[in-house]
Amino acid sequence: MWAYVVRRCLIGVILILAMTLVTFALFFATPIDAARYACGKNCSEEQRNITRAALGYDKPVVEQWAGFIQGLFVGRDFPLDESQREAAPDQVTHCGAPCLGYSSFNAKTINELVADALPVTVSLAIVALVLWLIGGVLFGIMAAINQGSFLDRGIVGATLVIYAFPSFAIAVFLLNYVAIKWGVFPYPKYTEIADGGVFEWFGNLLLPAVTLALLFLAGYVRMTRAFVLESLTEDYIRTANAKGLSQGKVVFKHALRAALTPLVTMAGLDFATLLGGAIITERVFNYPGLGLLTIQANAASDLPVMVGVVLLAGSFVILANIIVDVLYAVIDPRVRVA
Amino acid sequence: MTVSEVLIQGGPEPEIDPEPSTGEIAGRSPMRIAMDRLRSDKVAMVCAGVVLLYVVIAIFAPLLCRLFGVELRAGTPDDTDGFNFPVIGPPNYGFTWAAPLGLEPNSGNDLLAEWFYGARTSMLVASVSTVASTVLGVVLGLIGGYSRGWADRVLTFLTDLFLTLPFLLIAIAIAPILVDRWREQPALLDNASLIAMIAILSVFGWMGLARLIRGEVISLREREFIEAAHVLGMPTHRILFKELLPNLVAPIVVSFSLTLPATIAAEATLAYLGVGVTGRPSWGQTILRAQGWFEQYPLYLYAPIVGIVVLVFALNLLGDAIRDAFDPKSFR
Amino acid sequence: MRMKRTAIAASAIAALMLTAACGGGSGSGAGDDKNEFQEGGAAGAGKDPSATGPKAVPDDAADGGIVSVTTAVAPSTLDPTRTYYVDSGEIMSGLVTRSLTQYVYDEKAKDSVLVPDLATDLGQVSDDGLTWTFTLKDGIKYEDGTPVTAEDVAYGIKRSFAIETLPDGPTYQLTFFQDGDKYKGPFADTEAELKKLDGYEPGWYGGDDYKGVETDGNKVIIHLAQPFAELDYYASFPVFSPIPKAKDKDPLAYENHPMATGPYKFKSYKPGTSLELEKNDQWDADTDPGRIQKVDGFSFKFSQDTAKLENTIAADTGDAQTTLTYDNVTPQTFKKVQTENEDNLILGPSPCTYMIYMDQNKIKDKKIREAIGWAYPYKAVWKARGWIDGVTVEGGAAILPPGTAGRQDYEYPKGQDGQTTDPEKAKALLKEAGAEGFELTWYYSKDDEQRVAAKDQEVKAYEAAGFKVKPLPATSDTIRDLTSDPKAPINLRSGGWCSDWPSGGSWFPAQWDGSLANKAGMPNPANFDQADADAKQAEILKMDPADVPAAWGEFDKWMQETYYPAVVWGYSGSAFIKGSKLGGVFDDPVKGMPTLNTTYVTK
Repeated sequence: MWAYVVRRCLIGVILILAMTLVTFALFFATPIDAARYACGKNCSEEQRNITRAALGYDKPVVEQWAGFIQGLFVGRDFPLDESQREAAPDQVTHCGAPCLGYSSFNAKTINELVADALPVTVSLAIVALVLWLIGGVLFGIMAAINQGSFLDRGIVGATLVIYAFPSFAIAVFLLNYVAIKWGVFPYPKYTEIADGGVFEWFGNLLLPAVTLALLFLAGYVRMTRAFVLESLTEDYIRTANAKGLSQGKVVFKHALRAALTPLVTMAGLDFATLLGGAIITERVFNYPGLGLLTIQANAASDLPVMVGVVLLAGSFVILANIIVDVLYAVIDPRVRVA
Repeated sequence: MTVSEVLIQGGPEPEIDPEPSTGEIAGRSPMRIAMDRLRSDKVAMVCAGVVLLYVVIAIFAPLLCRLFGVELRAGTPDDTDGFNFPVIGPPNYGFTWAAPLGLEPNSGNDLLAEWFYGARTSMLVASVSTVASTVLGVVLGLIGGYSRGWADRVLTFLTDLFLTLPFLLIAIAIAPILVDRWREQPALLDNASLIAMIAILSVFGWMGLARLIRGEVISLREREFIEAAHVLGMPTHRILFKELLPNLVAPIVVSFSLTLPATIAAEATLAYLGVGVTGRPSWGQTILRAQGWFEQYPLYLYAPIVGIVVLVFALNLLGDAIRDAFDPKSFR
Repeated sequence: MRMKRTAIAASAIAALMLTAACGGGSGSGAGDDKNEFQEGGAAGAGKDPSATGPKAVPDDAADGGIVSVTTAVAPSTLDPTRTYYVDSGEIMSGLVTRSLTQYVYDEKAKDSVLVPDLATDLGQVSDDGLTWTFTLKDGIKYEDGTPVTAEDVAYGIKRSFAIETLPDGPTYQLTFFQDGDKYKGPFADTEAELKKLDGYEPGWYGGDDYKGVETDGNKVIIHLAQPFAELDYYASFPVFSPIPKAKDKDPLAYENHPMATGPYKFKSYKPGTSLELEKNDQWDADTDPGRIQKVDGFSFKFSQDTAKLENTIAADTGDAQTTLTYDNVTPQTFKKVQTENEDNLILGPSPCTYMIYMDQNKIKDKKIREAIGWAYPYKAVWKARGWIDGVTVEGGAAILPPGTAGRQDYEYPKGQDGQTTDPEKAKALLKEAGAEGFELTWYYSKDDEQRVAAKDQEVKAYEAAGFKVKPLPATSDTIRDLTSDPKAPINLRSGGWCSDWPSGGSWFPAQWDGSLANKAGMPNPANFDQADADAKQAEILKMDPADVPAAWGEFDKWMQETYYPAVVWGYSGSAFIKGSKLGGVFDDPVKGMPTLNTTYVTK
């Protein structure tokens, strides 16, 4: 068992390394002069050279990559150029491990930027997860036990229609009508729990979270419905029915159990992806999470931020995959040998 | 399932056919059976009709424009009033055949022509990139599944890697780089943005199918007919394409039909984020422009959204029906 | 002064420059009398050297509240020395940094008036016009309670000479101040460092000793190389605000928290994203004739989506009631707000002109240039850009925008009023020049829908007039760098200019001086280099201040008629929207920005 876990983690680490390599190649092997962007739009040649040295862009890409990897494990000090650090020791910024880089546009380490943005994205993802899990399971069961009825068709049809909407369309509709025009909700703006209490935090999160939940709902409704339907035909359910258990009890205690593992798996992976930033939702609702951070970084051609966030987002997915795989292995020992 | 807000591959999770089928007469090929089942599925046929309509629109967009007497990008300032609202048609005036979907504010361009050509861009990008990603997925899946050894390991690793790379982030980062590359040749650039979009969607679209195919091949390669072909000394490429491939038609068709709508949605989303195809009309870009007018001129915004939603909805339903039709569980 | 910058292109409808359109001759306006605004007169020409604080606060002003400002653009920098865009200028001068002089909006005259700020008057000029003396008021303090000294103001001025370290700021001091061409700012104080600077010449010097500025007690004395009659206007720029040298160890980082002397100070600043201002309790209303301090703070959100921010403000509920934007409003929102709540619309002139600069090295034949003027699709471009004819844009042929003192309203080429497109005339001129099929090439931002739409209109119109076209795509990020590269493979440059103060003196020497042609950064975007034009300008600069405005107006007409180096394709007007609970918001005709310095929340 442990051998399996270790092997799985090892592959994860290699994946992360490979991902950093790909991102580096993508962003830094381009014709764009990264220093020009890092330094600002109207920067003299002299300043550009200073910036180039400060961020290590004067080195070959491979060396930059090695430095980045080193920063991930032991942290780095910016500016990277030693002579610049010595010249102005009070200007040195330490970026602790795992160091994701430094954004000279924001004059902050990526770690600081992420520390600001991640709580927003996590809040959003958690509320959305709860909403779509509850919604998905409830509607799925409702559809299953009323199989073939008007309700069943209605639920399945409605989720498919929602699923056909491009994600930004849902967000734009909710914002423009529900928040701005009808004023059902206040214009969502992120409030920390510490600032406004749980209720305000939740109230402000509701609309963007509903957007995200709607996007994911279809898959969960259909999956729950399918598994519940399948298990309703199994012998042990028939037995339970025959014993005279109420239908609700049968569905929730037995039928749902079969659907639990795949549901949790899917939810885990979806959640992990959301942690990388709900780009569209955050952009439409102007939520200062990782997604918006990326969009802004992209608009400012702030490459270090892009690299850092891509890496972080990918790592969440890798981590979630490892957790899911390991859990599977715990549940089903046959997986380990595969 | 690859996730992200844009589901680029596959639709909702597979659904197990709730209705056990009645006995089918043996002796027909699975393909035939599936086609027959599909043909008797009313919903699927309606959806297929809708999709066909879109295909016709996409192919005959110029002709349709002439038929309706509209022209692409022909607006002049005289077509809009002092507030830049169109002087004919919605939102301030009634329906007119001169501009059935109205004129675009500011520019005065005809929105029906814009819509027809938008359908063209959307279908073109989606179909080409879905075909490309399907081919990529099938080939890599076949090789990975059949080769055992290091090739399999490398391909599996590649699949995992691509599944981990955040698609949207990378797509929005690549777009400006492409502009920089082709700046000097504007004609090339418009095609470049089209090719780039297709490339991005293909490169991030093959992983699901590759995994599926690999799994299928691993189970098939132990079967007698493959063993026999192997023993008879049939060359590997023949085994792969003559013996294995025909047995993989069902998953390929199902995957294709479910990836297509996802790709259409992804293309529109990227256009909305400002990194879509440029230089030609696109639904996503119309939506981007129309956002600010949603209150005063709803039709401007709704027309392209309805275009996408109806197409994606029809394709999804059709995909589901195809999957059900091919579902081996319902053969028995 | 420069235009606001577009930050996120996809969303920026707008807002580039500002200018406007004072009533007259707006032609086919929005067809509604309400759109016509009052004649602005000579924008900002008024002066009141005796104005004293405190500024009277209207009765309906409540204590407290937060004013939110949302915008699709983002200031590129908030360093006082580098502040040269109208948006950052309004934020810094209006709320945070006090300069020697300032503008205050006069509601009755509907105009801005130049009044003293840190100085006790508008400066005393010596008889030869070469020495200006400003005396600082007593008791001015920074946000941390330390007193402001004349040395700090002098340091701020010296800092503005370090244009390589702190690029992009206004540069009149280089031309007019003593040793302006030799002194390189306080940072490069050794020979070795000076040699590293671009275009090094012997005789350059740097460091704390600069001959052009001296202090005497609480007096700041400025020595000029040539008379600069409009220095009192220029002294309102944040360049003339005090900067404590002790806080300026890293000049590039100073913008993260410039020391406040105004009623508000930085609470937090995220470049490109947000700026939070809070009350500065060291500010003394009695010393300030221009600003008030009623609300608790200002909250700026940059790089927002235009449609969203307009919808929110137009809905006028909740927090939106105390929100405003300084972006020009889109036609659809303009129409909505005008019908539903006209008081939330702020209209007024602004001092900018949009121009197509024709590279004099590449389009040498004046007939071809005139052909471009006739071919240009003025109104189509306005509409493609989402502007409102007669409200956010107006046509005219003069380079100086309406409202500038001494401006002449003329037509050139004959019959061209800055909004007439006539492909036949263009064709005829091209034929005369023997240049049919002449290729026009320019950059456009391909990630900005409206600029692409405008480009489409331009292509159509140029082709209709017999030109060949080759528009080159760029992104909103790169277009400025690309366009300002003298080696760029283009012959047209689209851009604009806004007044630094309401006279031609802030127009022609800054863009149309021969010595600026063919320079890196393209300060003279048309590469206009004509000896007779330079001579005329030099003459005007030496004239008696009273005659200067009219002379610039004459020069404007003469230059266009003689050389036609630029197609004027519109003046922009201001049309902002605000929430119903904001008071004291007017359009400042000098900047074309809302008057943040007098903004309050109503009771």
